[in-house]
Amino acid sequence: MPSFLLGRRLATGRLKERNITLDRRALLKGSAVVAGGGLLGLSLMPSALAAPKSIKMRELYNKDLSFSDFAKEHEGQVISVNGFMAPPLKAESKFFVLTKMPMAVCPFCEPEADWPDDILAIYARRIVDVIPFNKRIVVDGRLHLGGYSDPETGFYSMVRLENAQYRRV
Amino acid sequence: MKKSILVAASLLLTSSVAFAADFKQADNQWFKDAQASIKARMAVQPITNKAKNIILLIADGNGVGSNYATRLYAGQQAGKLGSEHVLPQDALPHVALVKTYNTNAQTPDSAGTGTAFHTGVKTKAGVLGVDETLARGDCSAVEGATVTNAVETFSAMGKQIGVISTARLTHATPASAYAHSADRNFEADSYLPEGCGQKDIAVQLIDVMKSGAVDIAMGGGRRNFITKETKGDEGKSGKRTDGKNLIEEAKAAGIQYIWDDKTFASADWSKPVLGLFESSHMKYEADRTGEPSLAEMTEASIKALGGSENGYFLTIEAGRVDHANHAGNAARTVTDGVAFAEAIAKAVEMTDPQETLIVVTADHEHAIAFNGYCGRGSDVLGLCYDIDPAGTKHSDKPLMGKDGKPYTVVGFLNGPGSILGEDGSGSRPEVTQEQATDIDYVQQSLIPLSSESHSGEDVAVYGRGPWSHLFDSTIEQNEIFHVMLQAATAE
Repeated sequence: MPSFLLGRRLATGRLKERNITLDRRALLKGSAVVAGGGLLGLSLMPSALAAPKSIKMRELYNKDLSFSDFAKEHEGQVISVNGFMAPPLKAESKFFVLTKMPMAVCPFCEPEADWPDDILAIYARRIVDVIPFNKRIVVDGRLHLGGYSDPETGFYSMVRLENAQYRRV
Repeated sequence: MKKSILVAASLLLTSSVAFAADFKQADNQWFKDAQASIKARMAVQPITNKAKNIILLIADGNGVGSNYATRLYAGQQAGKLGSEHVLPQDALPHVALVKTYNTNAQTPDSAGTGTAFHTGVKTKAGVLGVDETLARGDCSAVEGATVTNAVETFSAMGKQIGVISTARLTHATPASAYAHSADRNFEADSYLPEGCGQKDIAVQLIDVMKSGAVDIAMGGGRRNFITKETKGDEGKSGKRTDGKNLIEEAKAAGIQYIWDDKTFASADWSKPVLGLFESSHMKYEADRTGEPSLAEMTEASIKALGGSENGYFLTIEAGRVDHANHAGNAARTVTDGVAFAEAIAKAVEMTDPQETLIVVTADHEHAIAFNGYCGRGSDVLGLCYDIDPAGTKHSDKPLMGKDGKPYTVVGFLNGPGSILGEDGSGSRPEVTQEQATDIDYVQQSLIPLSSESHSGEDVAVYGRGPWSHLFDSTIEQNEIFHVMLQAATAE
């Protein structure tokens, strides 16, 4: 990652977390539509209000980092993935990176932060409310596979969740 | 006086064996095993001839605690309870405790510690191949502060040299074998401050390979050898801004370049080899695909250098035990710890103790800690289960804290797994056995830090072969170099 991005990342990482209760309600409502699918007529049933079962990030990848069968089968569909929000690259952005483990940065050991290979780019519906990098979250969004460069940061990703919403676990 | 103590000690040992049959516990297996172990140790004789070859194996961040975690894991993977397992390094005949501090750091870093065992002097944290007169980052002082390193020392003796790491080859530990730098972070020219006159670390590696001092270099860090405009073999850009392609320079000098498991398998080991298997660090062992293991690199290097007339010096680093600890992810600490143990086993198996000194150590420990009181066989990556007072294996009852929640065998004092938020609030989350034994689980820690930290506590050094009996007592880390030097120069 270029050092200017690291600087921004560290700065934005200090933003205080805000209460996301409203987002969570909105998320559950959105999830219900997703989970209900063609069963909108039954949307008042409790089962239809439940968020989809979240997967671990590694279920999107094979060990050699090629896409898993699950990823290929769910391309274009809304899925739910749990992980950790890496401190955003840019303030007041809808973009952040989901990591499978908290994004540990050792200032003593590395000249700059290294992204892990197995990450998930998240394009949220709203400007991102920063959640501490070591608190687990679940993200619901539409899965897209294939190379894409973020126009604001130049961040290149191979897999993304778009129109996403997220909540702390 | 000294002689009489030795005689008395000798008589005591002899008599303890002679009277063993009189003990009520003489048939107890623990008693018999200990007697056999003492007998075997009494037969160990110092080897005082010159060492033709020296192999230094370092697991970064693998102090006595981290090594203990790997021992439990390796044993449990083999179907044992864990504690009784013997790692290859545990079985080496000589051992000492090592004080790892840097001259200005109670808690050391890998540059200062690497310099200690690769040059024979302690120095400041963050610097490579220079003495403590240099203030970190002061490029102008490098020449005056430069000390002779292991590559210069052993190549001057006519030995062939290999440098191996699963971290970037330009990272602190491997770089301390061959480089002189005011800052460990000067891995490529783009990291040098404006006006800094020293060469970056990647250039220094290629220089020692082109000069013929280093014959084999394998690890990660391809990005520091190519420019920002160049895509490496796996599609990732480099870090250089000086327009140099050091890989092409190496090839032009007759050095063979390999970059994945296939080119590794087909390499011609009669030629010098530069292996750069990743853009940054090589993969954790648990995630490894498409690149050789540490044991495979060790085996290939010993085979390649074994025919050297004047012998060889091989420095081998398991670089990512440290990174897993920094991440607070004990699962990868121990899986990379096992990969390190497999490399040690390979070195032990392939060499003759009469001619090869094997040294196994770590550069520093981490803020890793172990909860109690767990019964035998509690999964080192899982919850701490209670002792069974009537049996050997743990009971089925996880131990609870005063907060009514179970806790894991391994914890960290600080790091990303902190139970506290950045505002200091928070409480300890519930954890199940299933969660704790997940490969991506981050162990609970106390103090919130973005990266779990090193600690200043002692590490061990284990040895086999010529002059390894000098590993005794509690030593300063820089003495390790002096044992290697004594072994290589003994008459």
